[in-house]
Amino acid sequence: MRNGNGHLGLRARGVSVTLGGRTVLHDVGLEAKPGEVLALLGPNGAGKSTLLKALAGLLPYEGEVEIGDVAAASLSPRARAKRISYVPQRSLLRSALSVEEVVALGRYVHGGSFGGMSKNDRDAIDHALETAHADVLRGRIFTQLSVGEQQRVLLARALASDAPILLLDEPTAALDVGEGMAVLRLIRTLAARKHTLVVVLHDLADARSTTDRALLLKDGRVVEQGSTADVVSADPIRAVYGVKLIENARIGFEPDSGPAGAE
Amino acid sequence: MRLYPLLFLLLLVAGVLAVLVGSGDLTDPGLRDTFLKLRGYRLAAAFLAGAALAVGGVVVQGLFRNPLASPSVLGTTAGASFGGQLALLTYGVAGVGSTFIVPEMLVPIGCFVGALGALAVLLLFLRVTQDLLALLLTGFVLSALFLSLSAFVTSVAQETWELGRAVVSFSLGSVSGTGPRQLAFALPLIAVALVACWFWGRSLDLLLSGEEEAQSMGANVGAVRWWSAIWVSVLVAGAVSVGGNVGFVGLVIPHTLRPFAGTKHRRLIPAAALAGGIFLVGCDIVARLIPSRSEIPLGVVTGLIGAPLFLLLLIRLRGERAYA
Repeated sequence: MRNGNGHLGLRARGVSVTLGGRTVLHDVGLEAKPGEVLALLGPNGAGKSTLLKALAGLLPYEGEVEIGDVAAASLSPRARAKRISYVPQRSLLRSALSVEEVVALGRYVHGGSFGGMSKNDRDAIDHALETAHADVLRGRIFTQLSVGEQQRVLLARALASDAPILLLDEPTAALDVGEGMAVLRLIRTLAARKHTLVVVLHDLADARSTTDRALLLKDGRVVEQGSTADVVSADPIRAVYGVKLIENARIGFEPDSGPAGAE
Repeated sequence: MRLYPLLFLLLLVAGVLAVLVGSGDLTDPGLRDTFLKLRGYRLAAAFLAGAALAVGGVVVQGLFRNPLASPSVLGTTAGASFGGQLALLTYGVAGVGSTFIVPEMLVPIGCFVGALGALAVLLLFLRVTQDLLALLLTGFVLSALFLSLSAFVTSVAQETWELGRAVVSFSLGSVSGTGPRQLAFALPLIAVALVACWFWGRSLDLLLSGEEEAQSMGANVGAVRWWSAIWVSVLVAGAVSVGGNVGFVGLVIPHTLRPFAGTKHRRLIPAAALAGGIFLVGCDIVARLIPSRSEIPLGVVTGLIGAPLFLLLLIRLRGERAYA
């Protein structure tokens, strides 16, 4: 297993974020352990993505974020990126880089300033592309890929960094059912390899099927936190979304063993 | 890779032509050495300025994720040009500096101070806001300010015919009067800055995905921006001091090269340095070939070649939707 920094958990205490004079996140605490998938749930504007960015160190925040036993604020951008990898919903990349070049960007944290790609770098890139089922896309231009394919490449870029903690912002948004399912399966695979995963999800059924624990946000505050089965249950869902939860009401899908289901 | 052999071949051809083409008669044994020497300086000046401006363009476009950006966006070109003009004026009017600085070095020093001045104002604004749009707008305002100041210097310089001619010639861009001392001043500046830009290449690659993603991948975005801006201004100061205000190199060369050299900065920067140098040497040859009573300014030639080429590239880019 490639996991350069061993298994690291992520802990946040009293995290608040103020943007443009407005407090959008109030006193949030959470813990995510290696081998576990934590879902961040809540309606639009609840502060899910803001919380994820604060955890990734991309937004100024008050409170404490700890990576393993180290305060995240004390780490340099490079040291932090070695431990935490953040996967945005969509990349802002518009330049004509190949998939392999995009994934290679994930190795930046390990690169010497003058050196080219080492064998270790190339192995990490190959392994990341394989894990994210993106090896067939290797030579393609990133901007010409479908949204689902781009998502797999962004995941591969994050994996190439060998960071033990992965933060994913709505990884299944805008994906079709097959692509979405492939990403969710990949999330489970990574959890089985003892990565620590924090995932923003919109689809509560996906959260139930894929994540171990969940944190439900509303208006920047934690409403409920615990096992996903407990959080995605009648009372909290009614309180936050104003809807009634009906068990087993949706049509379900599962991966087909035939070629159509393969990525 | 076939790009580099091609570039070196072009450089060889341009270099030979640059030495052979011109109004002087090389068959005269008494003047031959002098002509060759002057053309050699001229060749070196054009190559250095072209290399510096092209790499400046690559770095600024990467930094702003905008193919329409160029060193002039930062206001550095205008600052360097104004500094050079002011140095000429000061020297011409008051003779200031002639006692303690050799005159050939006055223009490069002026350019350098001008570029650094422009940069200092820019960095001062950066301390107030880290916003990219604010940075771009500050660059535009600085450019406008320095262009106005340059116009003022030009009008003051018109009072003396010789001085007016020197200032106008400098602002139009020319490598014809570049001597060994100017080259000796510009060469180490440009060489160090080229290596430094290559050094920052991997960080600039990350910035192509935007600041947030770059930061999440471990880039120290603030440091990348600061240092890139500093090295670009050193490149521009060096280029303007030997070639005057020459435009379009930093816009056209990176676009022309990307389909062949790719987008990654560590591959693009050396190729851009070579291609930019070749382009400006070629423009200087064209400037000598166009029949005219006095020589066509280099800035006019780069503009005449660069502007239509840039428009073509823009149309192609629009078709590919390849820019943000």
